[in-house]
Amino acid sequence: MKGGEMGMEVEGSGAGFEFPFWKPLRRSFGPDFPFFEAGNLERELLAKQVALELTDSEKQQIRNLEDGGNSEVFCPIVGCGAHLKSLEEFEDHYNARHRASCSVCSKVFPTSRLLSIHVSESHDSFFQAKVARGFAMYECLVEGCGAKLMHYKSRQQHLIDKHKFPASFEFKKANPSRRHRQKLLHKKGSDDASSAPNMQVDEDSMDTLVSAVSRLSTSDSPSSISFGRRHTRGFAFVPRAVERERRPPSRSHAQTK
Amino acid sequence: MADEAPSPHKRDPIKASVGTVAAQKRREQAIMVGKEKREALMRAKRLCRIGVSNVNNDVPIDDNMMMDEEQSLLEAQTLKAVEDLKHAVAYQGKGTTEKRINALRELRRLLSRSEFPPVEASIEAGALPILVQCLSFDSPDEQLLEAAWCLTNMAAGKPEETKALLPALPLLIAHLGEKSALAVAEQCAWALGNVAGEGEELRNVLLSQGALPPLARMMLSNKGSTVRTAAWALSNLIKGPDSKAATETIRIDGVLDSILRHLNKADEELVTEVAWVVVYLTALSNVATNILAKSNPLQILVDRLASSNNLQLLIPVLRSLGNLVAADSYLTHNVLLADHETTVNAIQALVKCLRSEHRVLKKESAWALSNIAAGSVEHKKLIHSSEAVPSLIHLLLTSPFDIRKEAAYVLGNLCVAPAQGSERPSLILEHLVSLVRKGILPGFVDLVRSADIEAARVGLQFMELVLRGM
Repeated sequence: MKGGEMGMEVEGSGAGFEFPFWKPLRRSFGPDFPFFEAGNLERELLAKQVALELTDSEKQQIRNLEDGGNSEVFCPIVGCGAHLKSLEEFEDHYNARHRASCSVCSKVFPTSRLLSIHVSESHDSFFQAKVARGFAMYECLVEGCGAKLMHYKSRQQHLIDKHKFPASFEFKKANPSRRHRQKLLHKKGSDDASSAPNMQVDEDSMDTLVSAVSRLSTSDSPSSISFGRRHTRGFAFVPRAVERERRPPSRSHAQTK
Repeated sequence: MADEAPSPHKRDPIKASVGTVAAQKRREQAIMVGKEKREALMRAKRLCRIGVSNVNNDVPIDDNMMMDEEQSLLEAQTLKAVEDLKHAVAYQGKGTTEKRINALRELRRLLSRSEFPPVEASIEAGALPILVQCLSFDSPDEQLLEAAWCLTNMAAGKPEETKALLPALPLLIAHLGEKSALAVAEQCAWALGNVAGEGEELRNVLLSQGALPPLARMMLSNKGSTVRTAAWALSNLIKGPDSKAATETIRIDGVLDSILRHLNKADEELVTEVAWVVVYLTALSNVATNILAKSNPLQILVDRLASSNNLQLLIPVLRSLGNLVAADSYLTHNVLLADHETTVNAIQALVKCLRSEHRVLKKESAWALSNIAAGSVEHKKLIHSSEAVPSLIHLLLTSPFDIRKEAAYVLGNLCVAPAQGSERPSLILEHLVSLVRKGILPGFVDLVRSADIEAARVGLQFMELVLRGM
């Protein structure tokens, strides 16, 4: 942490007070030091920003910006490097190639890590076996923490106690297997393949599911996970300000001050 | 807006081109002094950087009565929208996803019409738990986007409103993941940026929930809007006062390179956001400063200073430079400014800032020069023989107090050799004589007279130098 320093030192000596001679010293300040107040003032106004709907002319402006200019992009995902000719193309490529969905229950996750945790905990009988034998298998969800807990519930508690997660947070287990969901669909006549996304699965039915589903996944190695395109209703990518009914042009995310 | 305490029912009639008027307002606000005004400003809800949707209203808005009416209509609509959303989420039949998304969109529209969204109304109607549900992992991207957008604007309000977002935080953080659709991740980053911008307490919650790594990694993207949003949110997250987050950031793989890469881009808004990240890294963390310094950042920063006239960009770029040269003598002399050409260019860029009309640029560039002038004799000679001196003298004799003080530091530092241990530093007579002959003494005399003790000391110390040497 840095603080302010004065450009001088008072030198004492046996003879009494001596003049504080000029010493060329560095002066550094912490970011909130009054020295920086004037420069910070405008920045502080930007501490929070409301995301507003764009006006029609602004949308047009953005569309114009996007059509011209260089919107070629190389896929930034490590190891991919595919070359795409437009942002739209990039979005399509991205969603086709780099999504993380569980091959067993089709649940989608925003990170590979969460996906692999999910697969272990929900579809892996080997994992369950180790749990039954008393190994601490439930990983903390926060990257970099590294803690492992014995039970789903104690992992939950760890998140709340250590990482200030709210009590309402849940890392839910698998959706029921595809087979089970088909049954539900036939019953309800629902055309929505994703079913109720918040179905809670408690530990008892979990076991039945695990055993049923363990026939589908053969090993706990990563190669059994396939990243496929998830069937989603609506868009994979929505330009924020463009109506759903219209054909989305390329990206709209405006900004000019 | 300058003199009014902002309330949710007041609006600024914004008629002209939004960009310039908003910029003008910001400039006016920046000049304001006074604690109360400043605090009021900080609490004021901020215009989105894009602009305001009521720019289409050419009719000047006539105050409170109409505002209140409009406001209660808005609140009633919000209430209904939340109710609709609750039903849509509970509904299990055909077309449930579409219903849900439509309901979300309706709420989002109500929350994104103006810079004063009906946040309180939506929270009281119970929107939060539903929105949290809508963030579950399986949800379609459009749903995630709309939910995150609602939360973004709900987080942009008063402190208690932002705090109400606590249950949503882990999910928002999760959706920053590398497998999320970019638009979703961006919107979540924006929401989290608003939460982090609330204050230290929420910042610490976010950090303990693991928000930093995924947010920092978003800066590695090629996409301008992603980097811009992530950098802004990141700057809110790491601004301290604790230095841990800053140190952690620079250690994340790829962050350093992406920072340097982005600082070179043409998009000035993007550069501005990334520069603010650098400001906090260099102001808070010695580790980060060291790491940054060793990757030749000065040339990039100096180039930006020299080539841009955008005040919003210049401030953080200049500050980054200032922080870097203020950190450590060894670093400055042997690493940052080891190269003659780099030093000359840096001085030149700082001179440009000295000559600016903007107070902040003048003051902070003088400060940066004072730290370079506190270095080696070689650096002092370079400054002394540059165009900095006439500008500094002018500033010393004519500008407001705080700038005069900084100019004084530079000039004084030029006249004194580097301190050797605890001995009295010796004079550089040549510089002292030439500067005094150019008429700087009255400036120091003036400082002696000031009420500020530090300034008085500076004045006296300089006089001692003169008496000693001439």
